[in-house]
Amino acid sequence: MKLIRAQFKNFRLLHDLTLDFSTDKTLTVIRAENESGKTTIFTGLQWALYGDDALPQKGKEYRIHPIDWDASDGTQIPISVDVEFEIKRFGRRGSGETKKQYRIIRAGHETLNGHRNDVTVKLFELTNRGSVPIESPEAEIRDILPRELREVFFTDGDRALSFIENVTPTRTKRANIEKAIRSLLGLDVIEAALGHVKKTTSAFNKDAKSFDSDKKVTQAAEKLEEVETTSKRLKHNIGNYESKIAELEENIQEIQKKIDAALLKGNREELKLDIEETEGEVEQLDKKLSDAAKEHSRLFRSLSLSHALLAPVLKKSLGKLSELHTQGKIPSATIPVLEECLIGTTCICGESLDLQTIEGKHRRENIQALIDESRHADALQSKLTELYYGSRNLQLDAIANDKRWIAEYDKIAEEQGKLKSKRDEQGKKLKALEAQAELIPDSNIQKLRATEKELTSLWKHISENLTRAEAKLEGLTREYKRLAAKRDNHLRQQREGARILARLDVASDVQSLLENSYDRITNEEMRKVSRQMNEIFLKMIGAEPEQGAMIQKAEISENFDILVYAPDNRELNPERDLNGASRRALTLAFILALTKVSGVDAPNVIDTPLGMMSGFVKQAVLKNAIRESAQLILFLTRTEIADCEEILDDEAGRVITLTNSVHYPKMLVNKPQEKERKIIRCECHHRTECRLCKRRIDVEEEGQPIS
Amino acid sequence: MAKQYHNPFSNIDLIYPTGQSDDYLLYCQTGKYKSIERSPFPRMVDLWFAGLSIAARKKLEPVDLSKRKTRHFNNGAIFSQNEDNWRIQIVMLIAIAVEDSVEIVNEPSRMMSIANRLAAAGVPYIVDMLRDGNDEPIWNLSEALREIIHGENT
Repeated sequence: MKLIRAQFKNFRLLHDLTLDFSTDKTLTVIRAENESGKTTIFTGLQWALYGDDALPQKGKEYRIHPIDWDASDGTQIPISVDVEFEIKRFGRRGSGETKKQYRIIRAGHETLNGHRNDVTVKLFELTNRGSVPIESPEAEIRDILPRELREVFFTDGDRALSFIENVTPTRTKRANIEKAIRSLLGLDVIEAALGHVKKTTSAFNKDAKSFDSDKKVTQAAEKLEEVETTSKRLKHNIGNYESKIAELEENIQEIQKKIDAALLKGNREELKLDIEETEGEVEQLDKKLSDAAKEHSRLFRSLSLSHALLAPVLKKSLGKLSELHTQGKIPSATIPVLEECLIGTTCICGESLDLQTIEGKHRRENIQALIDESRHADALQSKLTELYYGSRNLQLDAIANDKRWIAEYDKIAEEQGKLKSKRDEQGKKLKALEAQAELIPDSNIQKLRATEKELTSLWKHISENLTRAEAKLEGLTREYKRLAAKRDNHLRQQREGARILARLDVASDVQSLLENSYDRITNEEMRKVSRQMNEIFLKMIGAEPEQGAMIQKAEISENFDILVYAPDNRELNPERDLNGASRRALTLAFILALTKVSGVDAPNVIDTPLGMMSGFVKQAVLKNAIRESAQLILFLTRTEIADCEEILDDEAGRVITLTNSVHYPKMLVNKPQEKERKIIRCECHHRTECRLCKRRIDVEEEGQPIS
Repeated sequence: MAKQYHNPFSNIDLIYPTGQSDDYLLYCQTGKYKSIERSPFPRMVDLWFAGLSIAARKKLEPVDLSKRKTRHFNNGAIFSQNEDNWRIQIVMLIAIAVEDSVEIVNEPSRMMSIANRLAAAGVPYIVDMLRDGNDEPIWNLSEALREIIHGENT
């Protein structure tokens, strides 16, 4: 199978996106940064092929339509994924290879609350005569790309690490590997045969119970039936526990991923505090700026402005007043002096003002007359006197402070300049923090951690139940053998019993045969996968055992553990002793080995395969992945592409770039024309950039873009 | 700062030509806009007084208001508010300078008439300063005033 084209409509961020895959060369590269639709495309492709089972948590509460769907465009949102692919078919009696093209369309509607309805899947063969519908599309897809192999062909680089990383419990790691290998074998027939044989054994046991001579066989057979029933129930429970555990582990990993992503972008709570603090600072600065503006405004009604502007004018008027003052016309100082004279008994001229003397009394009368005369002086003199004395300060200030206004203005201007620059700085900081907050998923780390704790506790509880059920089942299996032996012993002692015993023996032999075959085939396949994995892995990391490389080999053990060995067969712990790049190479080698051994001709779609890698290993992983795949579709970030450009020049049949419009302005240089939050495609390859996809690469740690 | 002073203008109107109404609306915070940057003058009397001052400084020809429609916006009592009573003396001193005679202090109406006519001549000058420049009006005006005070006083 080769993917040719995929079209997504209203699938989450993919409002309307078409992807073309290379069919002439093995490699297609989709260049996309984080949050640019990689996982969505990944999920969308699988949804088209396998339906809701391929969605996280089997599609329960999983909304497909875009979150920013405008309800005015309708409340029944059309959703669809349309995939075209090519299959190689081999004609009967060696008539050669033919290629057929198909198109699968999964489409339906979703309500605003995420309820999906009338979802249908249609498969067409694309022939020269047009599209020919194919009945039972699900069965056809099952044949082309078995459901069990879904996770082998659609690989999330991060999730694939669960095959070896210690965060995954050993039991689950083994189960994952065993499941992956068994899924290659397609041993449905053997599994079904085993089921039939077990049923037949139960029937023979019933026969043994029905014929009875001394009740001993009956008793044993009845107990065997009970054990069988209990075992069946336990197996059913174990199956439930296992699937529940797998589901929980998937959820826990998903949450851990979200926590990691959120931590990378920043803690929402911390960010919220930062934003509040910055908003407070901005508010304070705005207040200060407003006060400074008022202060500035006050300058236009200030005395200092009048001093500065009117100094030449005032000089003239005040000069006139001074002249009058010099001439003695203002001020009229006679009255206070004369009044002071009247208080005492001697005049300023030295003469007596004594009331007891006629001269003194007469002089006093003269002085009082002079005072009265002055009091009746003209209004003009009085007003000028008042103005002269009232404006003396004004006069002095005007001379001394004709430049004071400039000093006041310069001070205010400087203060405002400083405040404005601080305000700009804080404004930019606030904008950057808000942009950062927008990118954080709508969850907070504390909440995620609480959920993780809750799920982990549930996982422990169910794991304990599983262990108990398995221990009980083990006991029952022993009990079954003991009771069967007892029953067989009683049967042997009776004539009719020998016939039933013979049948039971045959059934038991067939069951053993089937079980052994199942295990043998599994082990054989496992060894094949193990060999392939080792070969690919050593090439990827450039290890040459003959040259005494640190890593000599990697293998899958009988217990389905992935093991790595150093010289002298010393076992290495992949989690602890391998670096990030080698761990990822190991898991990719395992996936590619599975693909190869399965013999299924299908694409490998891998998200973030080259994360944490650099230099030789990165290039070798890429080259080997291309070599070992029938069709390779890689989702790569710019960082992953770095150092691999030349390989992509030679090997990539198609490279396209996807961009998320919401990354403007924090990460994108140019404002996208699209109003909705959506993924935009452009034809830029790994060496080019256009207006749509040009990114700000220099982003400061605190998230402030450098303009 | 002048101390409390008798205000001879308490009952005399402050006026401007009707044609300047928009300028008073635009550039005073009591008018159309509340933005200090666009409307730097706190009150209409402040723009009026700035007009009077610049006209006196620049020796602008007083406007003959008898032939123009005018609008009364306040009276001289406003000079006694907010510690602005120094404006009383300034109006009187400007009148003395314009008339070149101290006799005028006996005629408050004439003094105010001179002030109103000078203000009417100075306000367009102030408006030009507010508009002339690439910045907001408050900065255009400040820089223009700075230039006048700095340039002509030194």
